[in-house]
Amino acid sequence: MSNRDIELYRRVVEGDKKALESIYDQYEKLLYSFVIKLSGDQALAEEALQEVFIKIWTQKAHFDESKGKFSSWIVTITRYTAIDLIRKHKKQEVTLEDETDLPEDEAESTEDLVEWKERGSEIRQAVKKLSEEQKQMVDLFYFKGLSQSEIASHTELPLGTIKGRIRLALKHLKKHLSTQKGGVHDA
Amino acid sequence: MMRKECDKLIDYFNDQLSEEEKVEFENHLETCADCKEELEELETLTDDLPFASEPVTPPEDMKDRVLGEVFSQQSPAASTRDDDASSEEDQKFSNNDELDKGKVLFPSETKAKVEKTRPWLLRGLAAALVLSIAGNIFALVDEQEQTAPEPEEPEQPDVETGTDQVRSRVQLQSEGTEANATAALIQQEKGDILTLQAEQLAQLQGEEVYQVWLIEGEKPYRAGTFVANQNGEGAVSYSLNDLPEGTNWDAVAISKEPDATSQTPQGEVILSSEL
Repeated sequence: MSNRDIELYRRVVEGDKKALESIYDQYEKLLYSFVIKLSGDQALAEEALQEVFIKIWTQKAHFDESKGKFSSWIVTITRYTAIDLIRKHKKQEVTLEDETDLPEDEAESTEDLVEWKERGSEIRQAVKKLSEEQKQMVDLFYFKGLSQSEIASHTELPLGTIKGRIRLALKHLKKHLSTQKGGVHDA
Repeated sequence: MMRKECDKLIDYFNDQLSEEEKVEFENHLETCADCKEELEELETLTDDLPFASEPVTPPEDMKDRVLGEVFSQQSPAASTRDDDASSEEDQKFSNNDELDKGKVLFPSETKAKVEKTRPWLLRGLAAALVLSIAGNIFALVDEQEQTAPEPEEPEQPDVETGTDQVRSRVQLQSEGTEANATAALIQQEKGDILTLQAEQLAQLQGEEVYQVWLIEGEKPYRAGTFVANQNGEGAVSYSLNDLPEGTNWDAVAISKEPDATSQTPQGEVILSSEL
């Protein structure tokens, strides 16, 4: 899978539109859903995807094979792009628990999607097990993309403790996730 | 000093540093094993989080919009690329594909498109989208009716590279009918095109058509043929590549013709304007 991504990406760098289209097809839904998760805003999600693929096509953003997986890279750029747009649009907040009133996907049941839904429900389960403060840390840090000082003023916690709290929250989350693996999860 | 750099990890991860700070921090990463490890840890720990998103199906036409816009941008590889290799793909996402072939479009369809893009415009969408359609008739309709608010300043100036340019745009005056039309000469890389959109046209009989003419001095040239839909609306886009190059067109006119073969106007001219 990721070898295929790298091959496609190399062709994109050479100006191959078909390769970019393949990448687009592969990631459209995940990235779109992800930006909606971040912003709660469908129009913004489309705008973000457009910017992301322009960055890739014009090579304003460049993937370095030595630094990890293509999928993590494209998700990261999408996150940055979305957070940046959200700032510009000064969107209202959507918290981790908020379910947005969007047309949720029902029709499809491709293997990828099934896996995604399972993983998603595992993650949400794991998030539920975090303390309120830890949930807030994950949300402000990852899904809101706030700066360290913004998180400090938001939570009224000392600036110097923020990094440690974020790491702790994420580690707990990961731990819950791994103990959950193979267990029962919600349908 | 060291301490200070290590404190930037979170802001680095969230892309909150200035370009300068970013470079500094990246240099710092080379030498600070702790930061490097913590950064990798953050990456690993957050790896699953995008999947917390509920799957949402994107709008069907989003792909065409997004890729259309993307491919209107120059790829850095483009200059070294073999043109033949991508001609098919170029066609597929060329913004003006539809308009290049003298294809007839009806404003009723056009309106629907405009309607759909409006929420974007209202949001003050990056001028990208507006510019992407600047060369096509939908945008002309929009501007013409003054329905869309001015888009905000482009947030990303580099997207502003559309090469289509309106050379002139005119309202055609009616000669004794309700009909009215707008025409534009658009300069494109691949050659100029004429777009024209008319409404309140009388219904045609049998093989009758509306014929568009570009006129130089006394000489009319055929510049697209169309019929009216049931709402009396019609539009045409015509590539000027087949017409003598570099002509200074004096006027544009529409006449009603007995069929689509008239080489000079046979029927009455119903609308015209100087260019």
